[in-house]
Amino acid sequence: MPNLHNYLITFALGASILASPMVLAAQEGRFGYGSPASAEQIAGWDIDVRPDGQGLPPGEGSVEDGEELYEEKCALCHGSFGESVSGYPALAGGGGSLTDPRPKKTVGSYWRYTSTLWDYIHRAMPFTQPESLSDDEVYAITAYVLHLNDIVDYEFVLTRDNLTEVRLPNEDNFIPDQRPDTRNKRCMKRCKDPADVKVASEAAAYVPEGGPDALYSEVEAQEDGIVTTVTGNGVYERHCALCHADGIGGAPAIGDTSAWSARIEQGLDVLYRHAIEGYSGEDGIMPPKGGFVNLSDSEVGLAVDYIVEQSQ
Amino acid sequence: MQKQQQLDQLVRSVAESGEKLNGAERRHFLKNGLALLGGAGLVSAASGVAAQAMPPGIPSWTKSLGSAVNTNPYGMPSPHEAGLQRRTVEWLTADKIASVSFTPLADLKGIITPSGVVFERYHAGLPDVDPNQHRLMIHGMVDRPLIFSMEDLMRFPSVSMIRFLECPANGGMEWRAAQMDRLQFSHGMLSCCEWTGVLLSTLLQECGVQKGAKWILAEGSDGSHMSRSIPMEKAMDDALIVYAQNGEALRPEQGYPVRLINPGWEGNTCVKWLRRLEIGDQPWYHREETSKYTDLLPSGKAREFTFVQEANSVLTNPCPEKPLTKPGKLWVEGLAWSGRGRIKHVDVSFDGGVSWREARFTSVVEPRALTRFGVEWDWNGNPALLQSRAVDETGYVQPTYSQLRDARGSSSIYHKNAIHTWKLNSDGSVVNAQLA
Repeated sequence: MPNLHNYLITFALGASILASPMVLAAQEGRFGYGSPASAEQIAGWDIDVRPDGQGLPPGEGSVEDGEELYEEKCALCHGSFGESVSGYPALAGGGGSLTDPRPKKTVGSYWRYTSTLWDYIHRAMPFTQPESLSDDEVYAITAYVLHLNDIVDYEFVLTRDNLTEVRLPNEDNFIPDQRPDTRNKRCMKRCKDPADVKVASEAAAYVPEGGPDALYSEVEAQEDGIVTTVTGNGVYERHCALCHADGIGGAPAIGDTSAWSARIEQGLDVLYRHAIEGYSGEDGIMPPKGGFVNLSDSEVGLAVDYIVEQSQ
Repeated sequence: MQKQQQLDQLVRSVAESGEKLNGAERRHFLKNGLALLGGAGLVSAASGVAAQAMPPGIPSWTKSLGSAVNTNPYGMPSPHEAGLQRRTVEWLTADKIASVSFTPLADLKGIITPSGVVFERYHAGLPDVDPNQHRLMIHGMVDRPLIFSMEDLMRFPSVSMIRFLECPANGGMEWRAAQMDRLQFSHGMLSCCEWTGVLLSTLLQECGVQKGAKWILAEGSDGSHMSRSIPMEKAMDDALIVYAQNGEALRPEQGYPVRLINPGWEGNTCVKWLRRLEIGDQPWYHREETSKYTDLLPSGKAREFTFVQEANSVLTNPCPEKPLTKPGKLWVEGLAWSGRGRIKHVDVSFDGGVSWREARFTSVVEPRALTRFGVEWDWNGNPALLQSRAVDETGYVQPTYSQLRDARGSSSIYHKNAIHTWKLNSDGSVVNAQLA
């Protein structure tokens, strides 16, 4: 039974409140919170693309145009041939490697749909400037990555209309989740012969922090599918080559045996220390870690090893 | 005589400076500091310092006033706990922007992970999001496409649940052999918090999902625009749009101001800094659900949309970071969790899996949450192989490495949930090991 208060409010506000969205929502069992999203608002954020082409904007890009863009915006990390630099993902190669002990998963060897490539470049690349590419640029770079994988030829022009027709070699090799796929039993006693209990592998012993930070040689790791190989070559190319490739600012150039022989004679420990802590000499200044202070000591050490190896 | 006094003074100052450090650092510092002074008079001087504080002595903090209320308006852990930190493995990723840090599991108690040490995983770094300008848009196959402000989201009925969050690559470095030297790195892409927010099903009801809608694309507002396709069944079951963690606003590292949590599922489906949900009739097959987060099998086929984190467990004491100091009775404990529901049993073995003893639960047992277990053990000082084995309420028993490799080979990267072995040496040190 309506009380006087409700009656008065209804009387005072009359029909106008009955037509408001909040009341309509309440009548339909909704809360009525939030604001309607306009077509224009949705268009500003709706960037996703599906394998059937839904979401692709008008546009086109040639392999030829893509080559130039790729060299400018992508090759620094992914390599001129999509081979990967400094641990960033390889984009090409690895065909037929999925059954190998060390599979190489690339666009050509592993990815399922061309639309994924367009979507990802558009949404997240270049790494340092996401959503900076025009739609035509995304088409062109996508076309070039397809070309690096021998999927389209050099004359190819990728468009909204033909993108879904470009099929990737590994499309049919994905299957649904089949787990649980193990059948262990909850055995409590005499579950196996004690003679069969053998240690197959052991990790390094834990060294508390502050312990020796041993320089490692070449470490291969995997995480989230990123197969990362930290190499002295990689660290050198990305960080040291800026000066040491050509001997800029008094830096001894890599491969210049006469410039390096006296330095190498001091021993690796001295070279490591100078590279890590910095060094001022008659020829110029080596900033600590070349200015890339985010590099670990180990990475700098690997780069020193590489430079020495190339300069003897 | 004077020389002895100077020495005592020096030793005392070394010991007091050392108090500001954490356990391992202090031991290291003391050892080095004392070594510098030579051996003379050390025992008496060092024990003299200790005797000031411990019974029958009276410590300095007992004989003075402490600091005032609100000295720290937002309280922090004791400086003596400075060793409790997320840590990274430098060689794991190409840079520190698209990378991961690990939860320090060895030093945590109970089942709740303190917000400040929950592992991080970014695909384009940690964005600084302004909550007043942040919006969540829901559109696609809905009757009413809507945009929600944070204020809007917090007006809906709220739900809190304690759930674990785990990266599917947790332990992925161990597929081929034991590799990581400590618990933090072998299992630390794992956490458990109380998450508070509004059920995704509530928001979908508000928008009016159309007939034929089967999938939802969740997308982040960070530079990677992290995106995953989520089946409608999960959205209507327990998926939560989360704005609070352990009683306060989400931490930036965890998606401030709003993220998705799909309880029991791959951490990366729980999109952070969530800006958009698009409703559709099929999945999007984006990069993070085809190129990554698919499980490659020896046949060359790969499983996709492998959402569930299956039952898993690990011993947290002892572990490489928590070696044993002497034989005798001790409390062995660890954590168990299952993306399919509650943990039903945890068994512990000290002989590499020949015999097992059922452990006791020492925490609440929530579905899809970390569960703390423990068992008393009398260590006789001999080497031992310690393992734990979780069984969840579906009857699923955590597998051995050989069972897992028989089913999936060793290149699938994700979803490694094998029974883990700690090799306990007679000196009390503990090493990550795998059995044949």
